[in-house]
Amino acid sequence: MSDDLSFIRDYLLSRRPEFTTIDPDLDLIDNRILDSLGFISFLYVLEERTGQEIPLDSVSPEDFRTLNRIRARFLDGGAAHAGA
Amino acid sequence: MTTANAPLEPLRNIAGALQANSRFQDVLDRLVAMSERDYYDPYKLFQWPDSLDEDAYWMSPELMTVYGTEVASAFDENQLKAISKWESINFYSVNVHGIRELLTSIIGRIHTTGFEIPSEYFHHIIGEENDHMWFFAKFCLNYGGKIYPDRQIVFAGPQIPEAESFLIFSRLLIFEELVDVYNQFMGGDERLHPTIRQVNAVHHQDESRHIAFGRQIVSILHEELRARLKTAQLTELGDYLKRYMRASVEMLCSPAAFRDAGIEDPYGVRRKVVGDPAFDAYVARALRRSTKFLANEQIIDDERIPRL
Repeated sequence: MSDDLSFIRDYLLSRRPEFTTIDPDLDLIDNRILDSLGFISFLYVLEERTGQEIPLDSVSPEDFRTLNRIRARFLDGGAAHAGA
Repeated sequence: MTTANAPLEPLRNIAGALQANSRFQDVLDRLVAMSERDYYDPYKLFQWPDSLDEDAYWMSPELMTVYGTEVASAFDENQLKAISKWESINFYSVNVHGIRELLTSIIGRIHTTGFEIPSEYFHHIIGEENDHMWFFAKFCLNYGGKIYPDRQIVFAGPQIPEAESFLIFSRLLIFEELVDVYNQFMGGDERLHPTIRQVNAVHHQDESRHIAFGRQIVSILHEELRARLKTAQLTELGDYLKRYMRASVEMLCSPAAFRDAGIEDPYGVRRKVVGDPAFDAYVARALRRSTKFLANEQIIDDERIPRL
């Protein structure tokens, strides 16, 4: 797991102490690890980490469903395409 | 979308609850009369100067999210004025996006089963909210050159379909009460430019009616739910609304606004602000009217708003 993905996972774990780990393919939305009310703070964490603002008109909720999807879309070079 | 979930709701129960409450019809009649009496043309009401003084507060200092926080103690007067400008543009932008959600929800219900009684008043709300959205957007575009984009994504909330309308009207009420705290204060704040005061004062005048309506319908819908939902479900709804309230205030603290104000490390500043005990007190002040009402109605268990 990359440093960026570990950072994101640790942030989510800090908000949901009932979880001790998060599988990269675990559904974050169905498991209420990520919800509408915590989303904006999460988005800012992601933007700060990647150094790029993420325009929401270019992404969908599915891009945030699992850690692996977040990695593919926004981390490890994916951020360069976030606004595409 | 609201309409997709609507068939899951016991709409006859909603209609019955609204019909059974004789006071509700009286309140609606009064609000319709007040809306007709206070009707105005927003396109002619406002004077829009070409520009507003940059060397001034655009938002009451006490209402800025950084107020009283440790990170703000390092800012000079010019930085605080710049933050007040862009935080006010963010505040009106949040209003624009909130009104879109409100309009979508009301339009999805007007003249549909369950909402026969309030539909007459819905016409007034829709018209007035359209006016509000216009003058808030106008302010942002004239003096900020943009409307900050909506940063929300809607995932599923509490999985209690019977409470769909209750949650929507609760969120709308909380949103309206929250922004009204700012509108009421800034509408009478002599330190602010007359155009800023007028935008806020006009909105406050209309919102007082919408809030009266919102309190009525939220109270009735929750009373109806109390008869049918389990205690754990009612607790889940209350906890969700508490989190919604905190999230709503946090939306007013924007790294984009800090960035446009020329503040270094805007994301770090936001993290420090929302993590500051002074911000917890700010949240409690901003939400006091809502928390008091919701606790009195036994919709939330107490007036404390925990961090997200």
